[in-house]
Amino acid sequence: MQNSTFLYFLTRLLFKQKSKHIGAVLISILIIFLLSAVLFISTSLQSTLMQTLKNQADFTVTRLKAGYPTQTPLEWIDKISELNGVSAVAPRVYGQYFFTPREKSFLIIGVDFFEEQNAQILKEIIGNLELKPFLSEDSMLVGEGVKIFLNAHYFKKYFTFKTPQGKFKKVHIHKMLAQESNLIANDMILMPLKLAQEILGMEEEEITDIAFNVPNDAEWDNIISKLHLMFYDVRVVEKREVQKAYENLYNYKGGLFLVLYLITIVTFMLILYQRYTMVYSTERKEIGILRAIGWSINDVLKLKFYENIVIVVVSFVLGVVLAYGYVFILDAPLLSQIFLGAANLENSVVFIPSIPFGLLGSIFLFYAVPFLAAVLIPAWKIAVTSPKEAML
Amino acid sequence: MSIIVIENVSKVYHEGTSHAFEALKSINLKIEKSQTVILSGVSGSGKSTLLSLIAALDKPSTGKIIVAGEAISKLPDLHASKYRAKTIGVIFQHFNLLESLSVEENVMAPLIHSRLSMTDIKEKVQHSMKLASIEHKATQEVKALSGGEKQRCAIARALVHDPEIMLCDEPTANLDKTNTLKFIEILRTLHSMGKTIIVATHDPLFESLDFVTHVIHMEDGKCDE
Amino acid sequence: MNEILLSQEVIVYLFSETLLYGLLFVAFLVTVGLIKQWNFDTFTSKQFTLENRSYLVTIILFFVFILKIILLPYFIYTIDNLSNIVPGAMCGAGVIQANVYGYPLLALKIIILFLATLWLTINRLDVKAKNYPYFKIKSWFFIVIFLFLSVEYLLDIRYFTQIDTRNPVTCCSIIFGQTGGSNGLPFHLDIPKLLILFYLFFLLQILTILTKRVLLSLVSSIGFAVVAYYAVVYFFGTYIYQLPTHQCPFCMLQDHYYYVGYLIWGLLLLGLFVTINHAMMQIFFKQNSTKYEKTALIRLSLFVLLCSLYVVVYYLKNGVFL
Repeated sequence: MQNSTFLYFLTRLLFKQKSKHIGAVLISILIIFLLSAVLFISTSLQSTLMQTLKNQADFTVTRLKAGYPTQTPLEWIDKISELNGVSAVAPRVYGQYFFTPREKSFLIIGVDFFEEQNAQILKEIIGNLELKPFLSEDSMLVGEGVKIFLNAHYFKKYFTFKTPQGKFKKVHIHKMLAQESNLIANDMILMPLKLAQEILGMEEEEITDIAFNVPNDAEWDNIISKLHLMFYDVRVVEKREVQKAYENLYNYKGGLFLVLYLITIVTFMLILYQRYTMVYSTERKEIGILRAIGWSINDVLKLKFYENIVIVVVSFVLGVVLAYGYVFILDAPLLSQIFLGAANLENSVVFIPSIPFGLLGSIFLFYAVPFLAAVLIPAWKIAVTSPKEAML
Repeated sequence: MSIIVIENVSKVYHEGTSHAFEALKSINLKIEKSQTVILSGVSGSGKSTLLSLIAALDKPSTGKIIVAGEAISKLPDLHASKYRAKTIGVIFQHFNLLESLSVEENVMAPLIHSRLSMTDIKEKVQHSMKLASIEHKATQEVKALSGGEKQRCAIARALVHDPEIMLCDEPTANLDKTNTLKFIEILRTLHSMGKTIIVATHDPLFESLDFVTHVIHMEDGKCDE
Repeated sequence: MNEILLSQEVIVYLFSETLLYGLLFVAFLVTVGLIKQWNFDTFTSKQFTLENRSYLVTIILFFVFILKIILLPYFIYTIDNLSNIVPGAMCGAGVIQANVYGYPLLALKIIILFLATLWLTINRLDVKAKNYPYFKIKSWFFIVIFLFLSVEYLLDIRYFTQIDTRNPVTCCSIIFGQTGGSNGLPFHLDIPKLLILFYLFFLLQILTILTKRVLLSLVSSIGFAVVAYYAVVYFFGTYIYQLPTHQCPFCMLQDHYYYVGYLIWGLLLLGLFVTINHAMMQIFFKQNSTKYEKTALIRLSLFVLLCSLYVVVYYLKNGVFL
């Protein structure tokens, strides 16, 4: 009732004076857009990675030689399977293959296509693969980056690997992996385990590492100590540590970015303060008139407060919506390269929308608090203008 | 009972500095209800200062001002603005309208913080614009109006909350002869409505009007009553 | 420490707190000037400037107050998120325990919010009167609040910089629970006695508010606050988590419980704030308000209703109590 007339008046006033605020709004939208886009990309990447990680095995065991990981003996699998509480023990074979002339590398992953995959992500990537035609000859599944790269080098239907032993192995390119998996699978090549061993120059009893699950998490510390007792030269990597490490990494990167962005925000605050303190005589006169006709200082402050809230909310919504479209619909051209750049092969990633509500709250606070704090004192200054002086 | 009582009021600007200036010196004045009073005198004689004190737009350096039984000289801002919004309607020499808004929106402005509903406000605004003969320009932006129309818009705004007291500061200084006469007719209507009117002007035309109760000459911050 | 300080939420939180403290410092300086020079009876233009400046203090405190209300749940959300990085913590309970500053900080925040409500109420009274009768009182009161705020800001920094990410913290099941065989309730109470106290105090609150026994309602508010805290953590909470051993005030603020914790603690705090505020106003300023009474009653009743509902629904669904 009282408020609706006030809001009506406020809207009319804002509308008629939009040129006054347009500068602040545009810069605000830009700032929020950049901030949101970066945070959206980072959060989306993080959540995709965490999803992947969730589906990975709880533990990975590698053999060490002089402190460095080396080929792991296949016989360890039996010993580990005997431990209580351990399930789904599986050998893994993978390694980097260098396409030497250009120094680009592929990640070769050997998969036993018949056994239960304890890495669900491989299940998703493999999907509905018709095993018979795939296994009838030496074939592989390649990620998008690999496919593009091979095409560019005229390897359209097959590629000839050179093994460390000097042999040549021609492998048929069966299918390209789904684009959605590009984040992880871009430079990946999946092939049968034995083929991978050949190409990476490993013996039959050698594998890269062993992965297994331990469903009861109370047992985890136990298992780790048992493993160390069993083998002297073992490295055990737990999934929860990897998760924490990723969490930390994203936290760290995200935080670093925010700290740098602080400088932008503070500069913006100073500009705002300057701009709104430089009260143009027209605005002073208008406030003076309002005070003369019966508006109290509180009334004027209310007007200024709502004026600024409207600017904040409008800028925020527009900035966030634009960022959403840019990241999740256009897949963030340019910016995504900053995150994924220095990649081995050119990667074009599809970002999966995942925005925790708290993130929006953080962005809003990070922008709204400095904005309103910067215009508070100028707003007060103009509200206490003596009506007489203002109207002269 | 006088509606306006001014007792021993002085106003000094920049007091305590080298360029202190005494705009009003010991003014004593009583104005009765429904009177139309002219404050005459040249510019600098203190007429505008006195009006701004009565409107609680400024505070006197010494003395007391009582309007409609309420002491207004020391009111804090919240109460001063309530007083202005309820009791006083002011018309300025330079109109002092919000140029970017329309006539209707300008006239509505004093009522925004009253607790009236939108319908009530619209009704009062219409009534006021009719009184001032400006309702045909309701939706027009003020900056496109002529001088006379702007003055009538200002009158409508000053009337919209039905104040008891109308204060006019050099209201015809920027008007031509025709519009001045139109303004005087509106004043006559207001007088017949029982409003107390104080006009500060150096136009001698006002002193000879039939509905004017009395004329107060001001000179050098002093008045002749 | 670095991982904590570089966490996004901590940066946003500390940045906001710093800005607010900056504004408060300005308000503090202005208030000191006002106390020294305020003399309402003079007509000097200096006095009018002072009156204008008092508006600056009001607007700053109002702005800070609104933001502190928003920053309190945000603070909780921040610590909750930190539980991903702090070893051993499964929710905010573990993180807030990470060093000695956590609990005092949280308690201080709530106290400050309450003091700010009180100040704003006094300010409203002061401005409504025609001669600023409470000006000196409210200015000195602001100075006191500013001291509290300074301590809060220092604690903020100390707390976040002293969270150790290498040593694991204890989880809520050990802090609050009975896994160690200990009883967390004071005065050797058990659950049935606690519940009786809870509902009794609630009834007392209603009675004292309705019969306008101000001093008594103040005392019963404090009693109710303490009893309600224990009741929610040790009894009602277990029905929210549907696990008799899960006793924690923080977990209910998480999303898998639909953030109901914010509602429960919010209603309790708001109801208590209004009651105590109203009582103070009556005792010291002789101000009465039926609106306050109604608001307090509604909020406290909703709080009790919500808590009891969880128990009732559980019983209806499962046919037994936990």
